Amino acid sequence: MIMPSGQQQLLLPLNPAFMWGSLAVALLLNTIPLGRLVWMPDFLALAIVFWSVHQPARIGMGTAFAFGLLMDVQQSAMLGQHALCYTVLGFFAIMVHRRLLWYSVLSQALQLLPLFALAHAIELAIRTIGGGVFPGWGLLLAPAIEAALWPIVSGLLLAPQRRTPEPDENRPL
Amino acid sequence: MPLGTLDRTAPPLFNQGPSALSKLVLLSAVSLFLMVADARFHIVAPLRIAIGTVLYPVQWLAMKPVQLMQHGGRYLEDLQSAQRGESDARRALALQAERAAQADTLAQENSRLRSLLELRQSTATPGRAAQVLYDAADPYTRKIVIDQGLTQGVEAGSPVIDEQGVLGQVTSVQPFTSEVTLVIDRDLSIPVQNARTGARSVAFGDATAHGGGMELRFTAANADVQEGDLLNTSGVDGVYPTGLPVAKIDRIERRADSAFARIHCVPLARVTAARYVVVLTPAGVPAIPPAIAGTVAPAKKGDKGEKLDAKATRKEGKSR
Repeated sequence: MIMPSGQQQLLLPLNPAFMWGSLAVALLLNTIPLGRLVWMPDFLALAIVFWSVHQPARIGMGTAFAFGLLMDVQQSAMLGQHALCYTVLGFFAIMVHRRLLWYSVLSQALQLLPLFALAHAIELAIRTIGGGVFPGWGLLLAPAIEAALWPIVSGLLLAPQRRTPEPDENRPL
Repeated sequence: MPLGTLDRTAPPLFNQGPSALSKLVLLSAVSLFLMVADARFHIVAPLRIAIGTVLYPVQWLAMKPVQLMQHGGRYLEDLQSAQRGESDARRALALQAERAAQADTLAQENSRLRSLLELRQSTATPGRAAQVLYDAADPYTRKIVIDQGLTQGVEAGSPVIDEQGVLGQVTSVQPFTSEVTLVIDRDLSIPVQNARTGARSVAFGDATAHGGGMELRFTAANADVQEGDLLNTSGVDGVYPTGLPVAKIDRIERRADSAFARIHCVPLARVTAARYVVVLTPAGVPAIPPAIAGTVAPAKKGDKGEKLDAKATRKEGKSR
């Protein structure tokens, strides 16, 4: 079998409960009331892009849309704003998912940076048209932080699939 | 052989449902519809309440670590700062004591004068205390979230004050929480009255990014306003009770190229640091100009005193 160069090892099948659990944890992280921080990375967007790239058959734009509605109510933003952003993220993630996994993780992060920037730009455009104030230049940091978190997220969320099928005393995990 | 016997659909192995592009178009259209419905027509409130109810356990769980840290920090506050806080509170109490002693007498005198002048009685507004849970995360507006909601009987539109002045207005009510739009939000406006001159105008939230202030728009460049003037609610909107302090005029820019002055105000309420607030019930009665009130209540006969009493009671009844 031809293996992508970034992946040295054949992965185990995914446990769907882990995927939904990680999405719930991302929602929880986004919900923590830390106040009005413009540069705060969107963990839920990160998780949605990750699973859309790695498991496009299990999670799609419908799921992204539903999570977006939850975020809209949580942030008391305009209803549909995050839903649109997450839908667009899901679409582009599915568009690039065949290509992206052939690159190394750092290169993946670099390629996803414009995608995250696009999501924040859509949000900014919607709110500026809708009559909000410009929140400040800290907004530029958010996609950069999200892209920087991509390698960490990749390592964390793929860890359960990287175990060996038959553990012995030399390879406990 | 009839055509129906052959299965002409693709085998399920390659059947992935509608294409990604068509899904994107459909879901984008739905979210655009939701946005317009939310911003322009205000018809998605039930949907918002339903999602809010589903989301409440998650919010409750996410709030716990933050609350724990806050409570821990407050628990570890040293004795000195606690004593300082107490002495500050005592000083403030002493300053208020004289006014409080006069308040009863003044209220009595005021009601007598008002009935003498045939004015409507100003009633005390009932309110409920609430705790500020957190600043709303949406960076495009200025909102806070308080811990009283539909189940506690909060209604949308209620004014919210803290101990210093008007803080904002409840704009969206969830089952257990409510969102309060602060007075410094660009979209919130409050009818105010200058305490020194009695001139009425409307104060808006500052539109600039890091404003955090308010401005008095549409005031003529030669109007009588001075830096340091106190702005109170005028009560003409029928939402805010009359006479609550709102802001203090901070800076006035008079420019030759404009007929209006730019007047910057500083809100008196602690908009970014409020911890406990009071949610008032909206006054609910738009002020009737005295001329109309006079024509509505013509009195034919009976002696003067009776007429006054009857009018006063009828107006009280109307205002409830």
